[in-house]
Amino acid sequence: MADDIPLTWFLYFAAASFCIGLLGVLIRRNAVAVLMAIEIMLNAANVNLVAFWRYGTPAAAEGPLTGVMMAIFVITVAASEVAVGIGLILLCYRHWHAADVDRYDSLSG
Amino acid sequence: MIQWLFVFISVIGLLTALGTVLARNLVHAALFLVAFFFVVACQFVLLEAEFLAAIQVLVYIGAVAILLMFGIMLTRNVQGDDTTTVSTRVAVPAMVATLGLFFVLAFGIDKHGVHRKEVITSAGTMTETSVDKNAWSRLTHRPKASDPVRPGANMPTRTESIDDMARVVGREMVNRYAVPFEVAGLLLTAALVGAVALAHRDVEEETAGRGIGAKSRPASTSDSPVDLNLTLASEPAPTAPVHDV
Repeated sequence: MADDIPLTWFLYFAAASFCIGLLGVLIRRNAVAVLMAIEIMLNAANVNLVAFWRYGTPAAAEGPLTGVMMAIFVITVAASEVAVGIGLILLCYRHWHAADVDRYDSLSG
Repeated sequence: MIQWLFVFISVIGLLTALGTVLARNLVHAALFLVAFFFVVACQFVLLEAEFLAAIQVLVYIGAVAILLMFGIMLTRNVQGDDTTTVSTRVAVPAMVATLGLFFVLAFGIDKHGVHRKEVITSAGTMTETSVDKNAWSRLTHRPKASDPVRPGANMPTRTESIDDMARVVGREMVNRYAVPFEVAGLLLTAALVGAVALAHRDVEEETAGRGIGAKSRPASTSDSPVDLNLTLASEPAPTAPVHDV
C-alpha cells in the first residue's frame, strides 16, 4: 500500500458527521428526527473507535480487538436506546398528540 | 486509488448525513439515514473490519432503521410535515454551535503532535515549532497486518484478528469481555421490557384515546358533540347500502 489513507482523514470524516448529527439534534423539532440525528453521532464515534483500533497500538493489558469490541458495545447500546426512545416517543405522542419536542413542556413551569 | 475511494465514499456519507438532517419529509430523512449507515459500513470495510460492517448492516439497516420507520409511520399523520420546518431563531445559533464544535475538533486533530515553545534568545522571544513524528495525528500508513500487535506481547497477530474477526470477537466476548457481555445482555433485556411497558396501552385507555385521538386536532376538543355527530352521520353511510342488499 504505497498510498494508504492517513488516520486523520477518518477522524475528519467522523468529526464532520458528528457535527452534522449535532446540527440535526439542535434544529429538528420532530422527536423521531432527533433520534435519527443521535444515531448519526453514535456512528461517527464508531468510525473513530475502529480507525484508532486499526492504526494504533493497544495498551499493555488490552486484547487485540479493543476498538472493535467497544464499537460492538456502542452498537448494542444504540439499538436498545432506539427501542426505548421509540416507545417514549409513542407514549408522548399519545399524550400530547404531537411528536414535536417543543410541545413537551410540562416541566418548564 | 484507495484514497480517491475514501474521498468518494466520505463525500457521499456527508451528503447523506446532511440529507438526513435537512430533509423536510421524514421518510426521505430515514432513507438518507439508511444510506449513511451503509456508508459507515463501507468505512469499516476500508478499515479492514468486515465483521463489524456486517453487524452494522444487520443491526442498523435491518433493525434500527426499520424501527425508526415504524416510529415515523405511527406518529406522522396528524401533525403533517410543517413541524419539521426550521425557524431562523433556532437555526442560526445551531449553525454557530455546530461550526464551532467542528473547528475545535479539527484544530485538535490538526495540531496534535505540534509543539510550540517560547525560546528566549538574545534577540528576543521566538516561537519554535517542533512536530512529533510519532503522534497519532501523523500516522499516514496503517501497521501491516502481519506485524505483531505489540512487539513482544503474547497475543494473536493482526492477521488473525482481521481475517478471522468473528472468531476472535467471540473468544474475547467470553474471556476478557465476559462481564460487559453479560451487562449488555441485561441491558437488552431491560430495553425490551421497557419498550413493551412504555408502548403498551390498556384497553379502557385505548377506547378513550381513540375517541379523542381520531377526532381532535388540538383546537377542536371543545366542541366535541358536534364532531361526534358528524362522524356518526358520515361514517355508517357506506355500510348501510350493504346491509340493505
